[in-house]
Amino acid sequence: MDDQGCPRCKTTKYRNPSLKLMVNVCGHTLCENCVDMLFVRGSGNCVQCDTPLRKSNFRLQLFEDPAIDKEVEIRKRVLKIYNKRDFDFSSLREYNDYLEQVEEIVYNLTNNVDVERTKQIMEQYQRENRDVIQRNKVKLTREQEELEEILLLEQQDTEQRRLETLQEEQRQLQAKRKNKQALLDELERSQLPASILLAQHKDRAAQLETQIEKQKQSVKPTTIFSTGIPKGQTVSLAPVIRVEEVLYKYQPINVETYGPPLPELEQLDRLGYLNHVRTATPQDLAGGYTSELACHRALQDAFSGLFTSLV
Amino acid sequence: MLELKRTLDAKGHGVLEMPSGTGKTISLLSLIVAYQKAYPLEVTKLIYCSRTVPEIEKVVEELRKLMEFYTKETGEKNNFLALALSSRKNLCIHPEVSSLRFGKEVDGKCHSLTASYIRAQHHSNPSQPVCRFYEEFDAVGRQVPIPSGIYNLDDLKDFGRKKGWCPYYLARYSILHANIVVYSYHYLLDPKIADLVSKELAKKSVVVFDEAHNIDNVCIDSMSVNITRRTLDRCQTNVDTLQNTIQRIKETDAAKLREEYRRLVEGLKEANVARETDIYLSNPVLPDEVLQEAIPGSIRTAEHFVGFLKRFLEYLKARLRIHHVVQESSPQFLKDIYEKVCIDRKPLRFCAERLRSLLRTLEIADIADFSPITLISHFATLVSTYSKGFTIIIEPFEDKTPTIANPVLHFSCMDPSIAIKPVFERFQSVVITSGTLSPLDIYPRILDFRPVTMASFTMTLARTCLCPLIVGRGNDQVAMSSKFETREDFAVIRNYGNLLLEMSAIVPDGIVAFFTSYVYMENIVASWYEQGILENIQRNKLIFIETPDAAETSMALEKYQEACENGRGAILLSVARGKVSEGIDFVHHFGRAVIMFGVPYVYTQSRILKARLEYLRDQFQIRENDFLTFDAMRHAAQCVGRAIRGKTDYGLMIFADKRYARADKRGKLPRWIQEHISDGSLNLTIDETVQLSKHFLRQMAQPFRRVRPAPFFTRFS
Repeated sequence: MDDQGCPRCKTTKYRNPSLKLMVNVCGHTLCENCVDMLFVRGSGNCVQCDTPLRKSNFRLQLFEDPAIDKEVEIRKRVLKIYNKRDFDFSSLREYNDYLEQVEEIVYNLTNNVDVERTKQIMEQYQRENRDVIQRNKVKLTREQEELEEILLLEQQDTEQRRLETLQEEQRQLQAKRKNKQALLDELERSQLPASILLAQHKDRAAQLETQIEKQKQSVKPTTIFSTGIPKGQTVSLAPVIRVEEVLYKYQPINVETYGPPLPELEQLDRLGYLNHVRTATPQDLAGGYTSELACHRALQDAFSGLFTSLV
Repeated sequence: MLELKRTLDAKGHGVLEMPSGTGKTISLLSLIVAYQKAYPLEVTKLIYCSRTVPEIEKVVEELRKLMEFYTKETGEKNNFLALALSSRKNLCIHPEVSSLRFGKEVDGKCHSLTASYIRAQHHSNPSQPVCRFYEEFDAVGRQVPIPSGIYNLDDLKDFGRKKGWCPYYLARYSILHANIVVYSYHYLLDPKIADLVSKELAKKSVVVFDEAHNIDNVCIDSMSVNITRRTLDRCQTNVDTLQNTIQRIKETDAAKLREEYRRLVEGLKEANVARETDIYLSNPVLPDEVLQEAIPGSIRTAEHFVGFLKRFLEYLKARLRIHHVVQESSPQFLKDIYEKVCIDRKPLRFCAERLRSLLRTLEIADIADFSPITLISHFATLVSTYSKGFTIIIEPFEDKTPTIANPVLHFSCMDPSIAIKPVFERFQSVVITSGTLSPLDIYPRILDFRPVTMASFTMTLARTCLCPLIVGRGNDQVAMSSKFETREDFAVIRNYGNLLLEMSAIVPDGIVAFFTSYVYMENIVASWYEQGILENIQRNKLIFIETPDAAETSMALEKYQEACENGRGAILLSVARGKVSEGIDFVHHFGRAVIMFGVPYVYTQSRILKARLEYLRDQFQIRENDFLTFDAMRHAAQCVGRAIRGKTDYGLMIFADKRYARADKRGKLPRWIQEHISDGSLNLTIDETVQLSKHFLRQMAQPFRRVRPAPFFTRFS
């Protein structure tokens, strides 16, 4: 780390601890001062490889090896275009071949092998797969999704724990305050000598302390099983108890009319009663309604009311 | 015995705590061997894992005794094959290679003599040196299996010399059909090594982890990666070498690279088939997905992969150039890496596998040189595979030296179950055992498995040969404690000094004293010197001190033993969690008293520990304090357990901190120590301690004849 320094002005990290090294697309380093000096006009050539550079493209060097900075930069750019996911391929083999191809492109670009041709390939790919690229831009890979999920869970857990401890502390603080207030009140009003009251208070405080200690010690048992079923909710696996009952038996109702007998259900149509009721629509029939039923019911009502006054 | 048999019958896992020095090893061995003999189809292999080479040797010796007993009793020669396996450094018999001092050098040199292409070159060009032992083994060694018997490391070497075969490769080949294999934890737990050595072991094996009280730390260490600036610099040279080699090969032998490329396009199908048919132990570094898919296209060719590594490396370098501490999770890291250098998660996941393939293709002889880049690739694979259970902490400097920039990236595993999971899944029974596993229920929780048996045993003693005492106060009634507020207190330090002084006057032979950390020990010893306590102690005994340097420590230890041998008596001041506290036994007169100054808590301000504690709380519902106390107590128990190594042995165990008297600490000591702590031995003053110790030592010094031959456990309900 000590020999990291600017190749132009030869300043090192050791001599100037606040030295800031910058790197541009070509992967060569310069310190911040040199960048400011050389690129006053906003653009210029690299000191080491004569590549035309822009000042705005200079970034802080993250890694010790500037080549890695360059590679990561290129990789990010390439991955923006080559963003197919594993489910875009029919087999794992194809996906792996694709990954290797991507790797090849990055390798070529970083090590300046066939740059022109590689760029052409990239452009061609971009043209051919425009819609896929657009579609995948917003999607994360499955693995990243998993990671995000785990992170979220972790965050929630820590947050919850923090809240719990906070609440716990507050509760304890309140209890202590209350205890103190109680002592003051008692001293004000009680007839007992102050020494006894103080002793009582001391006792109570000690009790409180042990209680708090105990609470701190006690472990919160987990509230849910790994299956997601909350603990304590008894999920009985025993079969439901069967109640022995006498089976229901249908018995036709017998309507006493004290007069002429009711026409039978089957005869209603033939006797012409049905002409006076609404015919059932297909929807009604589907629901189990028939015209006979309603007609029969109405007749029952009418007949049973005929001769009641005579009885 | 009963519990172990039950475990084997159920084909499940077990956790057994047995006091040290009571024949734990032999009991385990004898039952499992008997089981193997009775049901040869149910249990085909015993894999016995221990920690250090001396321990491995001890196990093999026990096994030899057992087998001799079998032959004597049954009268027939049994055809058991048992062998120990260790690194090349301990097994090599090549005159040049074995003279090298470091394990890594030996591995590298061996590799440069035995790699397949070196041997191929040797065919065309006989002046190319190869290892004749390996050649011989490769030519004939595999045809005839090694004759049955018990082989320790030296036996293997002798056998190798006699036949002219390489003992290391012979052992590695023979473990496939051996009945009993004894080796180190790492051969099973460290995914990098397990993949080479243990992946083809039979499913119907019984695995025993002995001295397993630290198993969670071993698991965590094997999955964690620490990256410093220096690692990255060495990686940079690695990458440059790779690039040059690729360039050279491209000019001379482009067909080779094309061949590799073709293979990668086809995918890693072979390994996948093997795993599906259940031949291999699965490797947590090699995720399933890697096996099912082909290497992604972006790192398929060698140049692209090197470019990928370069980008990854530069990214890590940029990350290490920070001035404040960063802690983030794996997903956050992955997101950032995508934004900064456009590296996707998928190629990262394949990184370790791809690098291995490349190194193989490039025929690089000295693999040892490439350890940094291999480390980085493991890190890449792990970070992209596991989104939970790991944390990334980047520290710009160490806590002790906040002015010196020494950036470290800790990728630390917080979940020991990840590394040990394949072992539990693959083998039918896994037995975890140690002298100090209390409290038992915490191990299944942090290792995430369901044991069928958990038991703690205690000793049946002919006499109470251990005497745990908890000293809480000095003679001036000031409480003794190593807790942060009082550790600088003069009174506490003086009382600790007085305790050691008094004990040095009454205890015969050796005393071992443990402190909580090196820093604390230095402080205390300095202030004892100022107060003149050290001088007084030296009138009674010599003093030796453990240091972080291994050579110095072993020197001190040697002299300490010498001083004990010739009757002068000595005191060894050492540190809990240090070398002395873990592997070294103080039998008989080497350790008549162990004093534990303070409770050996870990350094709680470390960020890695904090992250781990948080994880334990959230995932396993283990409270921070519980875990810290558990960890401190297991180390304390491990320290004091050094003194008792058998029934005839006896020793004082002095816990010098008033916090040991509390129920939560005391309850976490192993059963066999807890049993002997009566209410009368709690919170003593120094005077009382001296009284009790005198009594105990006088009693123990009487001649002891009743030695039962066989080890025997009773169940503690």
